[in-house]
Amino acid sequence: MSARARIGAAAPYGVLLGLAAYLFRVADHLDFTRTEGRLGPDFWPKAILALLMVTCGYELLRRLLRAPGGQPESAVIGEATTVEDMEPEAAPPARHPYLLWSGAGLTLLYVASLEVLGFFTSTFLYMLIFMRLGRYRRWPVVITTSLCGSLVFMFVFMKIVYVSLPLGSEPFSAVSLLLMRLMGIR
Amino acid sequence: MIDILGHLGHGFVHVLAPANVAALLVGLVVGMLVAILPGLTLVMGVVLVLPFTYGMALLPSIIMLTAMYISGTYGGAFTSILFRIPGEPLDVPLLWDGYTMGRKGAPAKALGWTLYAALWGGLLTSTCMVLLAQPFAKFALSFDAPEYFSVIMFGLTSVVALAGTSMSNALISLFIGLLLSTVGVDEIYGAQRFTFGIPVLADGIKYITIMVGAYGLGEVFTRLEQGFQTQPVQYSAKRIKTQLPTLREVWGLRGTFVRSSLIGVLLGIVPGAGATITSFVSYGAESQYGKRSARLGTGIPEGIVAPQIASTASVGGHMVPLLTLGIPGSGATAIILGAFLLHGVQPGPQLFTDPKSTALVYAIFASLFLSVVGMCAMGYFWIRSLIKVMDAPEAVVSAFVVLFCVIGAYSERNDLNDVWMLVIFGIVGYLFDRFRFPVAPLVLGAILGPEAETAFMTSMISHKNDWVGAFFGRPISCTLMILTFVALGFPLIRAALRARRAWRAR
Repeated sequence: MSARARIGAAAPYGVLLGLAAYLFRVADHLDFTRTEGRLGPDFWPKAILALLMVTCGYELLRRLLRAPGGQPESAVIGEATTVEDMEPEAAPPARHPYLLWSGAGLTLLYVASLEVLGFFTSTFLYMLIFMRLGRYRRWPVVITTSLCGSLVFMFVFMKIVYVSLPLGSEPFSAVSLLLMRLMGIR
Repeated sequence: MIDILGHLGHGFVHVLAPANVAALLVGLVVGMLVAILPGLTLVMGVVLVLPFTYGMALLPSIIMLTAMYISGTYGGAFTSILFRIPGEPLDVPLLWDGYTMGRKGAPAKALGWTLYAALWGGLLTSTCMVLLAQPFAKFALSFDAPEYFSVIMFGLTSVVALAGTSMSNALISLFIGLLLSTVGVDEIYGAQRFTFGIPVLADGIKYITIMVGAYGLGEVFTRLEQGFQTQPVQYSAKRIKTQLPTLREVWGLRGTFVRSSLIGVLLGIVPGAGATITSFVSYGAESQYGKRSARLGTGIPEGIVAPQIASTASVGGHMVPLLTLGIPGSGATAIILGAFLLHGVQPGPQLFTDPKSTALVYAIFASLFLSVVGMCAMGYFWIRSLIKVMDAPEAVVSAFVVLFCVIGAYSERNDLNDVWMLVIFGIVGYLFDRFRFPVAPLVLGAILGPEAETAFMTSMISHKNDWVGAFFGRPISCTLMILTFVALGFPLIRAALRARRAWRAR
């Protein structure tokens, strides 16, 4: 294994170790009045953070110090191998990072739009774009499913489960209120 | 014994109320659909149904979720045997003999063996659950804070040890889950922990957002990155029928039935050994101790019966520690525990002391018997209709999954901040999958963290900070702590032995 690959494999543990060390420092400065002879509210999170740092440190070192051309993952001490050993080898699936980050961005945008556009409008738009992003090409199905899905969810959760879904702000709230009136939701 | 039968009889009467029967049927159908669809995992399906239970009473909620859980262990068998598509990881062993038997021209027979195995495994596990729960609960009533802490530790470490990936990664996942449960205002001192002046964090991070985000949304992101590759299946309805084996054929496999049943029930009781692990272990045991072990993989019934019995039998096993100790042994039971907590009920031995909650528990037991019979009847008669769901494109199904996740996170407090959290944990779930950190320890840590902390702090107060006396000076807690260390040490020792064997073989 090249030095670059080893650093790449160890990086997540380094990040976690740094984060845990920072949080340990935060836990060390909690604001409370200590009672003599009793453990404070900082003890439990600090104990967890200490264990997290030890585990991350161990894994970081192990991955950094692994000998070039060393043993495969499953043969190394510290690796519990169970079910996966028995599964037949399969080719790793193709990855499309642009799809992932577009999907995550779209979902964040959807959450941000809920308060402005209201549940119905933002859900309709989200489903429409998400299905297209997921490379589903049949427009009539995409539009019908998005429309019916948004309406059915609105009806079931507002009328039957009594969840107060976001209505949006003016002028979009008018759409939500109109639909509610049509569905008999008060 | 008469007492137990009496309670169970009343349980059946309760379950037969229209609302409960409706919940059971919905649970069975949704569980089957989830198991059939390769893009949806069983745990994810149970998570998605959770928001619907907010407005329901506790009993139908739990009936629906347990019915989903048990039928989910059976539904995927159809797609594995007929199309070589395992709906769930637990169905993978069915590909090796089930699909092969189908290819040899006997798919109906293969489906018949699966049905028989699911029926046997399900009824057996339900019976064991009824018989074991009361003694378990009586034993648990003698527990004090140190015993509770030890049993939670044992449960958590077993999940870590059996997580199936790197032990370090599983531990890290668990610690992150435990840490997330500490965010917010501390109950004893009122100190703000890790809130960073953000008001929404003062209320803590709801485990439901972690659960729904990491399991549901995380899985959608992972599959989106892979470009939703699952293609709709062109099936032939004529091929789908079930032919039951004869009693003579079943008697010929009695050894397999006994072995797999024992593995399913016993591994089910151990926290962490989910249906997938029991299914693989049972197939592995058959390949070592079965009469026709050399012919496994060539399409013989033993290879179908062993994993199916074990995975279905593990469900009842998982319900025992959940109901008697409040310790979930798998992802699905963690969500069922979540449903209990959302209704303000903490599972544990006290459920068996109050007549009202005892009635609830036995109604859940009774529902499991009915679920087993219902899922088999459904598999026999309705499978042609259910399997049509495989025509749904993955992008469409995933869009609905996201909607369920959003509403699931939002509806607990009607707060959009929970939806933001959901997306964050969705990304965390994706990163966990990408870097091979298991999600189950994270979720279990987040759910059981507050209980573990309370039990630990109470033990420390009552034993004046003497942790050795608290956890090693009492027989039950000492035994459980030793078991905890064994659970942690076992994979390390096994890996060391493997490494040594590999080194010697060179």
